[in-house]
Amino acid sequence: MKTRHSIAVIAMALMASTSGIAHGQEASKEIKIVLPEQPANLEPCGTIITNVGQILSQNVTEALTVIDAKTGLPQPKLATEWARIDDMTWRIKLRPGVKFQDGTGMDAKAVAFSIKRMTGGALTCNNMAKFGDRTLEATPVDDLTLDIKSDRPEPILPTLLSVVMVISPNTPADKPVNDPVGTGPFKLTSFDTQTVTMNRFDGYWGEKPEIEKATYVWRSESSIRAAMVETGEADLTPSIAIQDATNPETDFSYLNSETTAMRVDMSKPPLNDLRIRKALNLAIDWEGLKALFGPDVKRASQMVVPGINGHDDSLQPWEYDPAKAVELVAEAKAAGVPVDTEIVLIGRNGIYPNGGEAMEAMAAMWQTAGLNVKLTMLDVADWIRYLQKPYPEERGATLLQMMHDNNKGDSAFTIPIFYRSTGQYSTVSDPAFDAEIDTALAASGEERTKDFKAIFTKARTDVVSDIPMFHMIGYTRVGKRLDWKPDITTNSEIPLAHIHMRD
Amino acid sequence: MLSFIGRRASHSIISVMGLLALVFFLTRLTGDPSSLFLPLDSTAEARAAFAKLHGFDQPVYWQFLQYLRDLLSLDFGESVRQNRSAMAVALEAFPQTLKLAVVAMLLSTALALVVGSLAASRPGSLFDRVVTLVSLSGASAPDFWVAIVGILIFAVSFELLPTSGTGSYLHWILPIFVLMLRPFGLLVQVVRGAMLGALASPYIKTARAKGLRRQQIIFGHALRNSLLPVITVAGDLTSGLINGAVIVETVFGWPGIGKLMIDAIIQRDFAVVQSTILVTATAIFILNICIDLLYAVLDPRIRY
Repeated sequence: MKTRHSIAVIAMALMASTSGIAHGQEASKEIKIVLPEQPANLEPCGTIITNVGQILSQNVTEALTVIDAKTGLPQPKLATEWARIDDMTWRIKLRPGVKFQDGTGMDAKAVAFSIKRMTGGALTCNNMAKFGDRTLEATPVDDLTLDIKSDRPEPILPTLLSVVMVISPNTPADKPVNDPVGTGPFKLTSFDTQTVTMNRFDGYWGEKPEIEKATYVWRSESSIRAAMVETGEADLTPSIAIQDATNPETDFSYLNSETTAMRVDMSKPPLNDLRIRKALNLAIDWEGLKALFGPDVKRASQMVVPGINGHDDSLQPWEYDPAKAVELVAEAKAAGVPVDTEIVLIGRNGIYPNGGEAMEAMAAMWQTAGLNVKLTMLDVADWIRYLQKPYPEERGATLLQMMHDNNKGDSAFTIPIFYRSTGQYSTVSDPAFDAEIDTALAASGEERTKDFKAIFTKARTDVVSDIPMFHMIGYTRVGKRLDWKPDITTNSEIPLAHIHMRD
Repeated sequence: MLSFIGRRASHSIISVMGLLALVFFLTRLTGDPSSLFLPLDSTAEARAAFAKLHGFDQPVYWQFLQYLRDLLSLDFGESVRQNRSAMAVALEAFPQTLKLAVVAMLLSTALALVVGSLAASRPGSLFDRVVTLVSLSGASAPDFWVAIVGILIFAVSFELLPTSGTGSYLHWILPIFVLMLRPFGLLVQVVRGAMLGALASPYIKTARAKGLRRQQIIFGHALRNSLLPVITVAGDLTSGLINGAVIVETVFGWPGIGKLMIDAIIQRDFAVVQSTILVTATAIFILNICIDLLYAVLDPRIRY
């Protein structure tokens, strides 16, 4: 009897103490967000890295422009207006009355400092990847005006400025930092191996956010993250696996700007034959394959998602036509193409959920079509050798599993990388196609959109250097206390100011 | 005794230096860190600038000489990912793992000694058979599965414990339970086996003939003589845990050195790999010296 009594007391004590842990946040305007990965650092020049951007972007640091999730067009943020004053130069007007979280005023000199810090080369700046090898020079004109000059015509500079995080001029210029000071609505208060915390910044220039304090923790297991939101230990978690998105009340799916595809190495036989590349597209049972990724994924015909400038809604994806695929392979064989040559299908472990299963299924379908495809799964470090130039010389014919993320509003972040001869991931070598790409990149407005669409059409129909698979879906679990829905930008930022508490 | 410790320490230093050299060259064989650190669409120029900034553009032997030079001034390098001293990163994570390892091993060893001894005292009894079944199940149950099921039952269904993280004593319960399973299962079998041998010895028969109580015979005489193999196995298991309880750290979000080391290897954060290995290797060498000393305490025939 005494033992039973003791057990009951211990159980009640446990329940009493845990109820405090799980639901301690309920009454306050503090929220806890659980991310899939620990941010290695909080350097504001690395906000294009998912776990850094989801914490800093639009919370602690802000950029000159922000991309509209629906249109893909740049919208004012710290810059209120912009105009191209000559081929190389844009004039930017800054928002008045903005202060950094350390009390310093945000002006043209501060913006010039941020741009110089980013482009100066004294520290490794991941966000510079979006600028390629361009060089930028920012010159203040007056307190709230500056000119930004690039070394070549840059029609989408306002779009690119969405990755230039403006930080206090008191930030060290020559070394990375983990305590950034920006103009955002939240001020970073701590960062250690277990949490990041930030409090509302009362001197914010914009509308006061409803959330007062946010804490970020990280757990790599999707099921644990989902459980944390379910039990009330956390309020929100992005990127849960499809099998954990089981509660329609709290789990939201959204098109997440990622496109899965296979890259075809066009330089090696038999993949240098157009018929074989078309057969590869036709041999896949796309509806069957879709079952691996859930019903919400969207079949892709091009490497950018809808909403990105240049995406062509009318461009149709390849149909499943196994008979035609077999016919094309036979035709190529009759024409002397060595179709029996081994084609190595290179997959990447963990690239996306069910990625390995997809590779096995596709390899089997290609074998059925008469191609000698062998699957090899690699870890990221080995896989990257095949993704980026210079490619391994000893490679044979390869098909490479990949996933591309373009959430920056413009196809310029996709087309030159995949289709220009000099592109980092390109296996295409066609001077005429290069010229078309260069023309598109130099164009602006409707002309630019039209040119990009033409390039995607040519890539889909005439070049066939890739096999677009699906525009992917992300799942986010949002606790019942919060009123917020994810969108295409959620993979790169979670603006706390957009999150409201339910009554 | 002191000369033994000194001798072992000097051997250990040589071994650690050899290990560090091996790790240094092996990590460099994994490839260029810039391909993992920089975004996939970075330019070749950006990659070259990154390599130059961190000295990866130098020949490997030259990087090694610089590493040795820095070691002499206790400079263990900077983490390219975390923007801070690699040794600070390792030393921040290690105590978290050490706490888990020490608590889990103390509890599982103590429990295994009692349970294993009692099972050996009545071989073939129901208790013995249940203990064998439970210990073998514990030793063979996958950590990952037990951890997830534990969370689903105790955190999600009954809301008795937090799912993960650190902060209160409740956060310790599930990780410690999961970590204890395997050592407990193995140690129970080792204790049981050693005790069966000890309990069949002539001196135990003599003790029984003298009319000593059962508990006194088991825990006062037989157990002490059965401890050497238990300590050997427990030491080995502790070394494994000190190296990092990667699965438990991953599932429960415990910021320990095991996950840190694996992440650093995967991300090619060389300085962190070297620092974590230096810290864990040093801890394991210290642990081994302690075990050797414990042998001498338990067995008077062993003298250094």
